[in-house]
Amino acid sequence: GKWKNKERVLIFSSRGINFRTRHLMQDLRTLMPHSKADTKMDRKDQLFVINEVCEMKNCNKCIFFEAKKKQDLYMWLSNTPQGPSAKFLVQNVHTLAELKMTGNCLRGSRPLLSFDPVFDKEPHYALLKELFIQIFSTPQYHPKSQPFVDHVFTFTVTDERIWFRNYQIIEEDASLVEIGPRFVLNLIKIFQGSFGGPTLYENPHYQSPNMHRRLVRMSVAAKFREKQHVKEVQKEKKKASKVLVKEDPTEVVFETPAEEKPVEIQLVKPESKPIVKDKKKLRKIQRKKQKKLFRTE
Amino acid sequence: QDGLKQCLADFRQQLAWVERLDVTLGPVGGPASQSASNTDEVDPENDFQREMSFYRQAQAAVLEALPRLRKLQVPTRRPDDYFAEMAKSDQQMQKIRQKLKSKQEAMERSEKAKQLRAMRKYGKKVQTEILQKRQKEKKNMLNAVKRYQKGLSDKLDFLDDEHTSSQGNKKGSANQQTKKGPNAKRRYKNQKFGFGGKKKGSKWNTKESFNDVSSFQSKVAHNKGPGKARKGGKKALNKRPGKRARQKMKNRAR
Repeated sequence: GKWKNKERVLIFSSRGINFRTRHLMQDLRTLMPHSKADTKMDRKDQLFVINEVCEMKNCNKCIFFEAKKKQDLYMWLSNTPQGPSAKFLVQNVHTLAELKMTGNCLRGSRPLLSFDPVFDKEPHYALLKELFIQIFSTPQYHPKSQPFVDHVFTFTVTDERIWFRNYQIIEEDASLVEIGPRFVLNLIKIFQGSFGGPTLYENPHYQSPNMHRRLVRMSVAAKFREKQHVKEVQKEKKKASKVLVKEDPTEVVFETPAEEKPVEIQLVKPESKPIVKDKKKLRKIQRKKQKKLFRTE
Repeated sequence: QDGLKQCLADFRQQLAWVERLDVTLGPVGGPASQSASNTDEVDPENDFQREMSFYRQAQAAVLEALPRLRKLQVPTRRPDDYFAEMAKSDQQMQKIRQKLKSKQEAMERSEKAKQLRAMRKYGKKVQTEILQKRQKEKKNMLNAVKRYQKGLSDKLDFLDDEHTSSQGNKKGSANQQTKKGPNAKRRYKNQKFGFGGKKKGSKWNTKESFNDVSSFQSKVAHNKGPGKARKGGKKALNKRPGKRARQKMKNRAR
């Protein structure tokens, strides 16, 4: 047949990504034959430059990975000329190469996309679903694609996040094995334009990773401060509990101090008798001493 | 909200399903009505549960999509002679297979070790039982021999193989029936005096032995009895002649 649905996705990243992100990018490129690669973008450039890059490469979709602080990974999904775009925080990345992912599929085979029913319930999820479909589904009769359908992408909404999994279809009765990769997307914002424009939706449940780290640190600090506080309170209590009692004269009545002995001051150190545990040893020591004396004389 | 909807309306592409291949379904067990309750149950922290829910969702999608694809004559099964490049290289798959194999082997080894340990324990138990049995038999044999030596029993049955009694259970029960054996009096005496000497601990001064007044005879205690029964002034059985008389007897004998 003829290839009609001309979708092309540009997959690239900014500088400062770690090995896991790089592998994830490569995995996505192998799984999606309708994708194109590009060199790393310098972070100094503004984001709308990406639109120009996409136009140069003749792509109408884009997946852009942005790494910040060498820790946090953000993913932009966008429809480049004028369409909407979305920014996600990516977590829990596992790549194709992990040995627990035992499945395999044809390179460039078309995927089946499976969505949670939750995607139909909210308008922002519906928009995201449309975006996912257009980006991830391989067009039919694409020159680099294989005609078989042998794997399925699942997108599930759990815990306010979108979980992505990739399974290989082994049998017609739907026995599946995971191929990978897998990641979790935490929606941050949806924009009306590509990499810019008015914000259509902001995720209220999203907490930036900086904020998260800050909270963790603060909780630890709070615990420590709590402990100190408790210690101080205890100190105060101890001091306060000492109550002064007046002297009671009746207590002293029956005291008869003992007769004072005359104070004897010893001027000469008394001779200490050595404790002889081993007479033989003592004798030996004495002999040695005498020999020494004899020698020195 | 409205902006979103507007945007979606603009953005949405009207493509044939074949192009998109998307399925929106809950996990296996039903779409809409059940899936809501299902997702409530699924605790995202519980990894296994979560992964299972993803798996089931994928399964549901596959079960729905495959018939549709078949209708549209899109092939889903790869023919066996179709060789093409795979997403993971063969080397990678080899590594995976190796890992699985090694895991399985490790498990098998640990299983074998466990079994060996269990068998050894059992074997030891059986061995101790056998040794004890042998010792018991030896003891019985020796007792039987001593009994014969002391003349308490004149049967030489113990020389015959006693093992036949244990093997033939039906016959053995008949034998045991006839072996009510010695009298009650005999049994009492055997128990008291035993074979090969008095039993240990028969002379303890315990509470029981102290409280035991069965050997009390009031006539003896109060010296009221007839004394040791003598037959008309015969010489007392234990009366021994004195030294002088004994020497005289000796000299006279020589």
